[in-house]
Amino acid sequence: MFGDLRRFDTDWTSGGDWFRRFVDELWPEPGAADIRSVPRGSFPRINVGRTDDAVRVYVFAPGLAPDALEVSLQDNVLTVSGRRPAATEPAPGERRTRFRRERATGEFSRSVALPEGLDPDRAEARFRHGVCEVVLPKREELKPRRIDIQAS
Amino acid sequence: MNDVAKHEPGREPVERRERRVDALLPPVDIYEEDNALHLVADMPGVSRDTLSIEVNDNVLSLEGEVALDMPEGLTSIYAEVRSQRYARRFTLSHEVDVDAIRASIDDGVLHLVMPKKETHRPRRIEVKAA
Repeated sequence: MFGDLRRFDTDWTSGGDWFRRFVDELWPEPGAADIRSVPRGSFPRINVGRTDDAVRVYVFAPGLAPDALEVSLQDNVLTVSGRRPAATEPAPGERRTRFRRERATGEFSRSVALPEGLDPDRAEARFRHGVCEVVLPKREELKPRRIDIQAS
Repeated sequence: MNDVAKHEPGREPVERRERRVDALLPPVDIYEEDNALHLVADMPGVSRDTLSIEVNDNVLSLEGEVALDMPEGLTSIYAEVRSQRYARRFTLSHEVDVDAIRASIDDGVLHLVMPKKETHRPRRIEVKAA
C-alpha cells in the first residue's frame, strides 16, 4: 500500500541513496566496471610518454584553472596537486535533486616516478581542454647519439 | 534495466563488444534544477570540434575524441587513459524538450542543460476557500 507513495519520492539524497546503490550493484552499467577504470580517489589520471629528447606527462584534470594545478619535480618524482571545487551550488530559492555524483571533487595529490636524467629547469607546462601537458627535456648527455661507423 | 539484464556479454557480436571496451566512460553528475535536467561530464582532452552529442529515439549519446597534439615518435611509458574516445549513453525521459537542449564544453567539462517541456513543469494549484 505504501509502496506506491514511495515511488513519488524522487529526492534520492535524503536517505534513498542506499537503494540506488543496491540497484546499481545488481545491474551494473555496461563498461562501468571496466578493468581500466580508476577508483574515485585517483584523480587526475596521468599518462607519461617519451620522445628522443624529452619526457611528456599528460595530466587529465578537467575543470581546473591552470593556476589551480601545482606541478613539481623532485629528483625524478613528479607530483601534481591541487583542489577541484565542488559543483556549483543551486541558486537561492532553487531546489536541486541530485541523481548522480560521480565526478571527484576536493583536494588531490598524486606522484609518478619518471625516468632519471631530466632537466627541471627547462621544463614547460601548458593547459589545454582540461589536460595539462608537462614537457621535461632530457639532459644533453642522455639524448640518443648517432655513432658514425668508420670504414676500416 | 531489462536490456542490460537480457544481454549477456558473451553473446554480443564481437565488434560491438570491442567498441565498448575501447571507449572511456566519463564520470557524470546529473541533477535537476530550475525545470531542467543538468548533466556535467568530465571529458578531458575533448574540445568543441571533437565532441558529438546526439539524441536518437530518446537515447542521448555523448561521444568525444581526445585531441592532444602529441609529437611524432612518442612512446608510452605509463598510461591510465588508454583510449582516445569517450562514450556514454543515457535514456531520456519523455518530458525533456529535445530541441531545447543546450551544451557547452570548457576545460574538458561538458555541461548539458535539458529543459523540461512546458507541459511537464510543476504548476501550483490554488485551493479555493469553500
